[in-house]
Amino acid sequence: MNAPSLTRRQGLVIGVILFGLLTLGLIIDGGRQLISDVTGVLSVSYLTSAIRLTVPIAFAAMGGIFAEKTGVINIGLEGLLIIGAFGAVASLYALSATPIGANIWLAFVLAILASTFVALLFAIVCIEFKADQIIAGLAVWLIALGFAPFASIIIWSRTSSPSVGTFSTVSIPGLAALPSIGPLFEATPPVFLLALAVPFSWYLLNRTTFGMWIEASGEDPKSLDTAGVDVRKVRYAGVLLSGVYCGIGGAGLALNTGQFVGSGDTMIDGRGWIGLTAYLIGNYNPVGAFLASFLFAGLDALQLQLQQIAGYDVSSTLVEIIPYVAVLVVLTFVGRTRMPSAAGEHYESDE
Amino acid sequence: MTDDSGSIRERGSAALDRLVDATAAERITISLASLVFAIIVGAVLVFVSGFVADCADPFIYLPGLGYGCYNPLEVYWTMLTGSFGSMTVIGQTLLQTTLLLFTGLSVAVAFRAGLFNIGTQGQMVLGALATALVVLELAAYVPDNAIGMVIVLSTGVIVGAIVGGFWGMIPGLMKAYANAHEVITTIMLNFVAIGIAFWLVQVHVGDLTTDSVQTETVPAVARFPATISGSRFSVIALIGALLVAAGIYLLYTRTVIGYDLRTSGIQETAAEYGGVNAKRNIVTSMTLSGVLGGIAGAIYVMMVQYRWQAGIPPLGFDGIAVSILAGNNPVGVIPAALLFGSLKTGSVAVDLSLGVPGELVEVLRGLIILFIAMPEFFRMIGKRFGYGNGSVATDGGEAQ
Amino acid sequence: MSPDERDRRAATGTPSSVHLDGITKRFPGVIANDDVDLEVERGTIHALIGENGAGKTTLMNVLYGLYEPTAGTVRIDGEPQTFEDPGDAMDVGIGMIHQHFMLVDTMTVAENVVLGNEPTKWGGIVTDRARANRETQALADRYGLEVEPTELIEEISVGEQQRVEILKTLYRGADILILDEPTAVLTPQEVESLFDILRELIAEGKTIIFITHKLGEALEVADEISVLRTGELVGTVDAETATREELARMMVGRDVLLEVDKPAASRGDLVLDVEDATVEDDRGVVAADSVSLGVHEGEVVGIAGVDGNGQSELIEAITGLRKLTSGTITFDGRDITTDSRRSRVSAGMAYVAEDRQKRSLVMEYELRRNGLLGRQHLRPFSDGRLIDWGATADYVDDVIEAYDVRPTDPSAKAHSLSGGNQQKFIVGREFERDPSLVIASQPTRGVDIGSIEFIHNRLLELRADGKAVLVVSSKLDEVTQLSDRLAVMYDGDLIAVVDPETVTENELGLLMAGERPEDLDLDGARIRGTPA
Repeated sequence: MNAPSLTRRQGLVIGVILFGLLTLGLIIDGGRQLISDVTGVLSVSYLTSAIRLTVPIAFAAMGGIFAEKTGVINIGLEGLLIIGAFGAVASLYALSATPIGANIWLAFVLAILASTFVALLFAIVCIEFKADQIIAGLAVWLIALGFAPFASIIIWSRTSSPSVGTFSTVSIPGLAALPSIGPLFEATPPVFLLALAVPFSWYLLNRTTFGMWIEASGEDPKSLDTAGVDVRKVRYAGVLLSGVYCGIGGAGLALNTGQFVGSGDTMIDGRGWIGLTAYLIGNYNPVGAFLASFLFAGLDALQLQLQQIAGYDVSSTLVEIIPYVAVLVVLTFVGRTRMPSAAGEHYESDE
Repeated sequence: MTDDSGSIRERGSAALDRLVDATAAERITISLASLVFAIIVGAVLVFVSGFVADCADPFIYLPGLGYGCYNPLEVYWTMLTGSFGSMTVIGQTLLQTTLLLFTGLSVAVAFRAGLFNIGTQGQMVLGALATALVVLELAAYVPDNAIGMVIVLSTGVIVGAIVGGFWGMIPGLMKAYANAHEVITTIMLNFVAIGIAFWLVQVHVGDLTTDSVQTETVPAVARFPATISGSRFSVIALIGALLVAAGIYLLYTRTVIGYDLRTSGIQETAAEYGGVNAKRNIVTSMTLSGVLGGIAGAIYVMMVQYRWQAGIPPLGFDGIAVSILAGNNPVGVIPAALLFGSLKTGSVAVDLSLGVPGELVEVLRGLIILFIAMPEFFRMIGKRFGYGNGSVATDGGEAQ
Repeated sequence: MSPDERDRRAATGTPSSVHLDGITKRFPGVIANDDVDLEVERGTIHALIGENGAGKTTLMNVLYGLYEPTAGTVRIDGEPQTFEDPGDAMDVGIGMIHQHFMLVDTMTVAENVVLGNEPTKWGGIVTDRARANRETQALADRYGLEVEPTELIEEISVGEQQRVEILKTLYRGADILILDEPTAVLTPQEVESLFDILRELIAEGKTIIFITHKLGEALEVADEISVLRTGELVGTVDAETATREELARMMVGRDVLLEVDKPAASRGDLVLDVEDATVEDDRGVVAADSVSLGVHEGEVVGIAGVDGNGQSELIEAITGLRKLTSGTITFDGRDITTDSRRSRVSAGMAYVAEDRQKRSLVMEYELRRNGLLGRQHLRPFSDGRLIDWGATADYVDDVIEAYDVRPTDPSAKAHSLSGGNQQKFIVGREFERDPSLVIASQPTRGVDIGSIEFIHNRLLELRADGKAVLVVSSKLDEVTQLSDRLAVMYDGDLIAVVDPETVTENELGLLMAGERPEDLDLDGARIRGTPA
C-alpha cells in the first residue's frame, strides 16, 4: 500500500535509456549530430505523439497488474491487444454495412467486449481447469497471433484491413487554447481515457476495499478465503479487468490508425510484451508502469521523429529493443521486482 | 536387511511399473484428447469462417446464414494428402519435422530440467545468422566436393550451436545468479535477438544489393544434399535429429549428469544438498537448450532457405507446442514433430487449393497448447464418464 | 470436568459452550472421526491431543464449518447448528487460528485484522484505514495483545503474527477460539506469553480449544484434555490430575518410553573437529562467530537453541552447503574446510537437513529418484556416469521396509507422503549408507510421536555402533535425552556446554535466552576434544 516508490528502479531505467541513446550516438556516423537533432525534435508535438504511443502499452501494463496482483499471471496481454485491435476494426467494418452505420464508439465497445471475452476464457481455463498460467497465456498470444490474420484474410482477403475510420480529436475547452502546451489537451479519446485510468487504477488498488482483496488474493489467497471473500471471484475480476484494459489499448491503437495490420507480429508488434516489461519495471504500481510505458513510447516516438525530421533511417530496430534490454538489466542487476507471492499458483478452497 | 525383502521388492517394482505406465498412458491420452479438441475447434472455426468468406462454389447453404465456403472434413483431408500425398510433399513434411525436432528438443531439454525456455526462437535466429555468415566465408576456402561439404556443413552446425548456446546461456546465468525468471528473460531475449540480427543484416553483413533484409545465398557446398527430388529435405539432418532425441532420452533417464541437471532445475536447494553445483547446472541446461535452438537455425540455413532472411518462421514457438504435446519426453517429441511438420506442410496445400488461410495452423498450434495446459479439463470429462482420478502435472512433468 | 460438575451442570441446565455430539466424518475410504463426543465449558481451555492423522484437525474443521459432519450435531451454547461454511460458524462466534498463519505479508496488521470485514467510508467502497487502526488498537489493548496496527506483517515476529491471528478472530466477534498447534513455531518465551494471553482470554469469558501434540503444554495450560486416536475419542481427562505417561499411552495406544533408555557412552576418536568457525548468513551478517566443536566416535553431541541463533548456518558450513568465513573443519583427521559438499558426502558424512522439503527431498521426484540424492555419483547407485536403477530400487525398497515408510510404493512422489514418512525415508536413506558422522538437524520436527521414538532409537543405535552423531534441535527434551554433551547456542556463540544429565529445563531456557544462571557449573565453550 505504498505511494509510488520508484526512485531506484526508475533511476536505473532512465540510466539504461540514456546509455542506449549514447551507444546509438556512437554506432551511428555523426553521433554528435544525432544528439543535437534529438534535442531539436523534443517539442510539444513530440510529447503528444509519445503519449499517443503510450496508450496501448500503458493499458496493457495496467491490465497485467490487475491480473497478476490477484494471482493470475497473464502473459497473454499481447494476444488480448491483438484481439482488441482486430475487434475494433472488424466491428467498425461490419457496422458500416448495417443500418447502425460506422459508429466508432460502438466499435470501440465491441472491441473491449471481444478482448474481455477472451480474457474470460483465459480466466476459466486458469481458475476452473487449473491450467498452467504461463502456458495458457502463451496459448492466448499464439491463438490471437494466428487468428487475427486468419480472420483478416477471410474478411478482407488479405492480412490487413482497408482503412475504416479513426477517432477524431477532442480538445478540452479552455486548456487546449493555452499557449505552447495547448496541443497536449487536444487528443483522441483513448488518450484522455489513459489520463483517467492511471490515477483510477492506482486508487482502486491502493485505497479501496476491492484493492485490498486483490492484494490478498495474490499474496495469500487462503487468508482472503478464510476472511469470507471468494478468491475465485476476485481473480475473475482481475483477469477480466486485464481484458477490458487490453481491449481499450488495442482498440485505441487501431482506431487511431484506422486500419488493422495483421502481417508479421501484427500491428501490435510486441506492445503487449513491452507492457509486461513496463509493469515489472514499475514494480506493479500503475503509476510506475505508466511512466515506464511513457518512456518506451517516447523512445519510439523519438525514433520516428528522427526519421521524419532529421532523415535518420537506420536503427529503428535498435531503438525497438531498448525496452527489452532495459527490463533484462532491471531483472538482472536491480534485483527482482516483487511478484505477488501466490502469482501463478492455482488456489483451491477447501470447501 | 531381511532376506524376504526380495518378494516385497518384486511387488514394489510391479506396482511401480503399473504406476509409470498409468501416468504415461494418461499423459498420452491427454495429448491425444487435446489434439482432437483442437481439431474440432479448428473445424468449427473453418466452418464458420466459410460463411464470412467469399468463394465461387460454396459447399453448403444454410437458410438464414447463407453460403458456406469451407468443408472442414475436406480441409483436414487436404491437409493430410498435402503432407503425405506425394514424395515431394513427404519430403517437405520431413523437412519441417527435422527442424521441429530440433526446436522441440530444445524446449524439451530445458523443460525436463524444470526450466521453461521460450527463447528457442531467438537462439535459432542468431544461430542461423552465425551459420550463414560463417559458411559464406568458409565456402571460398574448401574444395567443391564431398570433403568440402562435410567440412562446411559440420562447421556450420557447430557455429550455430555455439551461438545458439551462448544466447541460451544468458537467461541461464540470469536465472542462476540473479534469480530472474527465465520465462520473462527468454521472451525479451527473443526480441533482442531478432532485432540485433535484423540490424546486423540490414546495415552491416547483409546482401546490400537487394532491398530485402537478407544475406547472400550460400553455395552448393554449404547445402545439405537433398534426398527426395522436389524437396530440399536431407535425410542426414533427420537422422542427426533422431540421434539427438535418443541421446537426450538417455541423458535424462540413465546418466548422473542428467539426474544432476534435472534436480538442479526442479529444486535448486535439494540439488545443492545432493552435492551438485545447481547454479552451474541451470546454466548448462539453458545452454544445451540454446545449442539445440542454434542447430535448428543452422539446419534452416543449410537445408531450407540457403541464406538468412528476415522473417524466419516461428519454429521456436512451434517447438514449444511440440514439446508440450510430447509431454516433454524426448522420444515423444518425434511423433509430435512429425504431426506439426505435416500440419505445416498440409496447410500450404489447404491455402492453395481451398483458399483457407494457412494461419489456421497457428491457431491450431495455440489451441493444442491451450488444451494441454489444462489436464483438469479432461479429467473432469473423464470423471463424468466414470474413469479414474489420477493427477498429472501440466508441465515439467515426465513420461518415460 | 468431573462427574460431579457434569451432574451439577445438568441440574442447573447451563449448556456447554461447545458440544460436539456424536460427530462422525467420513471421507472416501477413510473414517476421520468416529462418533466423537466432546464438551467444552465456557471460560475454559480445552486441549485436544493426538498423533498426526488422529483426526484432530478434521474434528475442528467440522466445528468451524469447513466440513459438514457425516453424522452428529454441533451444539453451541446448547443450540444445534448446521454450518454451510466457516462464515456460518463465525456468525455464532467460532474463530479458528490456523497452524500456518493466514496473513498477507505485504499488508499491515490492521489491514489483516479487518480483511473481509473492512470498515469503509464514501459509500462502502473505500477502506477506512484510520478506523481500522483505531479498532485494532482498542481490541489489542483490551485483551493485552501487544501489536502495532500500522506495521507490515512481514516486518514483525512470528509471535506477533500469531497475536494478529488472534485479533482477527476477536475482531469478528469470536467467543470460541480454536488454536491449531499454536506453539509449533514459537520460542519458549513466546509460548509463555501466548499462554498468558490465553488465560487472559478465558478470564474475559472466551472458550478456547487448543490442538497440540505436545503433552507438556497441554498439561500446563489446559483445564481439560481430550485425546483422539485414529479418529476416535479415547477419553477426556482433568489436566490437574493427568500425567504425561497416561496421556502418551492414550495417544499411541501402548506404553511409550518418553525417557530414552540410553547406555553409557563409549567415546572413541575425534571424528569431527570444528575450530573457530565463523559463518555468515545469506545477508552477509555473521551468524556463527568463532565456534569450536568436536564430535567423537560413539557420542551424541547436541546443540540446543532457539531457531535463528546461528545453528542452521553452522550446520550448513559443516555439511558443505555454506562457505566458512574463517576457521577450519577437520573430518576423520583430514582438513575438509574447502572440500565440496560432494566430497564430504563421499567421505561418509550423512545429513538430515532441517528443512526436509527444501533440502533433503526433491518433492517432485518419486522416492526411487530421491533414494540416490547425494550419492548419485557413488556405487552402487552409479559408476559415476551411468545410474544403476536396479541397485537404486533395491536400496530404496530396503529403506522403505526397514524404516516403515508409508506408502510402501517407491514410485510415490515425495510430496504425497506425510511429514513423518518423509522424515523416516530421509533418515533411512542417510543412515543406511554406513556413515562415520551423522548430522541431524531438527530430526523430529513435525513428526508424530511414534516416529519420534523410532528416529531417536535409530540415532542411539548409531551411537552404539560407534558413529559420531551431532543433533541440533530446538526441542529441549529431545536434545537433553539424546545428548552426551549439550551445547547451547545463542546469538552466534556457543555460550555453554552442559551435562544433559544434570541441567534443568529452566537453566537451559535461560541459556537459550542468552542468560547464564549464576549457580550453573559451566564448562565454558571448551566442547572440542575435552574428555568427559
